[in-house]
Amino acid sequence: MTAGRTIALGLVLPLALLVLWQVASDREWINPIFYPAPLHVLERTWDQATDGRLAHDARVTTGRLLWGFLLGTLPGLVVGVAAGVSRAVRDLTYPLATALYVVPRIAMLPLVLVAMGINDEARVFMVAFSVFFIVFFSALTGVEQVDRECIEAARAFGAGRARLGLTVLLPGAAPAVFSGLRVAMGFALIVIVGTEFLAANDGLGARIWTSYQIFDFPSMYAGIVAVTVLGVLLAWALLGLEWLLVPWRR
Amino acid sequence: MVVAGALSLRSLSVSYGGAGGLCALDGLDLDAEPGEFHAILGPSGCGKSTLLKCLAGLIPATSGTIGLPGDGSVAYVPQGNSCFPWLRAEENVAYGLKLRGTPRAERQRRSRELLDTLGLTGFARAFPAKLSEGMRQRVAIARAFAVDAPLLLMDEPLSALDFQTKIAVQGELLALWRERRCTILYVTHDIDEALALADRVTVLTGRPGRARDTVTVPFARPRDYAGLRAEAGYPELFQRLYRGLEP
Repeated sequence: MTAGRTIALGLVLPLALLVLWQVASDREWINPIFYPAPLHVLERTWDQATDGRLAHDARVTTGRLLWGFLLGTLPGLVVGVAAGVSRAVRDLTYPLATALYVVPRIAMLPLVLVAMGINDEARVFMVAFSVFFIVFFSALTGVEQVDRECIEAARAFGAGRARLGLTVLLPGAAPAVFSGLRVAMGFALIVIVGTEFLAANDGLGARIWTSYQIFDFPSMYAGIVAVTVLGVLLAWALLGLEWLLVPWRR
Repeated sequence: MVVAGALSLRSLSVSYGGAGGLCALDGLDLDAEPGEFHAILGPSGCGKSTLLKCLAGLIPATSGTIGLPGDGSVAYVPQGNSCFPWLRAEENVAYGLKLRGTPRAERQRRSRELLDTLGLTGFARAFPAKLSEGMRQRVAIARAFAVDAPLLLMDEPLSALDFQTKIAVQGELLALWRERRCTILYVTHDIDEALALADRVTVLTGRPGRARDTVTVPFARPRDYAGLRAEAGYPELFQRLYRGLEP
């Protein structure tokens, strides 16, 4: 099957659903106040995108998300690799990480707001907190899955701990880390939008929630469209980064 | 204790978990002349791989003396696929050279030269995932030869290959060995392979491994499997080694 045919087949269902939604809303099979037609949503999205309001909220959300992602990923990677290398670090961190990993991220929001206040630091922290554990576990698993033969070959050539980490464990763990990063990015988006629902005056999450509260459903859908586009762009960016940094997996 | 000179092992013992732990080698004596191809045969679990890992510095000896040839440096080809999946073929070959600080141009020149010798011309920029099993083992062998260590430790490097590929890689390995004249300690479970490759063969006992028998292979080189079986004395030598492997 050609790539074009594969893409075309993949588009059939989403397009059919959009057409069905458009017809159902136009003919009022469904309530057009709650479920405005896709073309109406598109029009509202375009209006808000061009007048700068949506762009502002998208920028705010993207900034919080990327900072949180970065601040969760870097320590997650370092501690995860360290736990994969050192039994002591693993024993120290694994039980706590396992316990905290299963806590629903959004359940931590009240505690974080009490501790940090309603501000951007708290929102960024929420994202970092949710990302950290996923990256930690993926880095730990990645290091543990590096072939023993590769480690022994490197050690026999005289690679010390630092060289072994840099030239064998990190690249060996990279595919697992990127798998974790893709999952983490999805979680990060959920957490920042959820956090903005409840504890922000701007950002895409706040736009969706406020629009819902004032019955401005086209704007709510415009926010949802923007979040979806943001998610797709970030997923593509990660795939591009993986393509660059993990060329042996292409 | 490790001393430089010929490969000479005296009363070498290795236990996992230290003295009192699981004893893998117990008082092993073994000698190999400089430039000798020495095969190690032994039943499964007798400590053949442990011996190589100990000599490669991966496992400490519990007691005994290790004398290593030349400057004491070794190169090691582990059992199984040990190519680094994230490095291209030439980068794999150059790994040990890079650790030793060899300049990039020199690394590349030596890697390409070895890859050419092993029939991998045109595959220098390929990742291991794009290579066949036989090609990957050639890369692992090239990587070991690249550092010009006086002692090469090879742990069943060709056991996963089909017969034809194994014969071809054996020929290339012997050509490199003749050119470099390093000492090779080659672990195998295949008596025919040991007789086809080695100058001498040492048979280890079951665990804990000790040297049970060492034989000199009298057949002239180059050898081939079909020709070996027609050699006078082959059946007796084969039977002697086979009996040595019995519990």
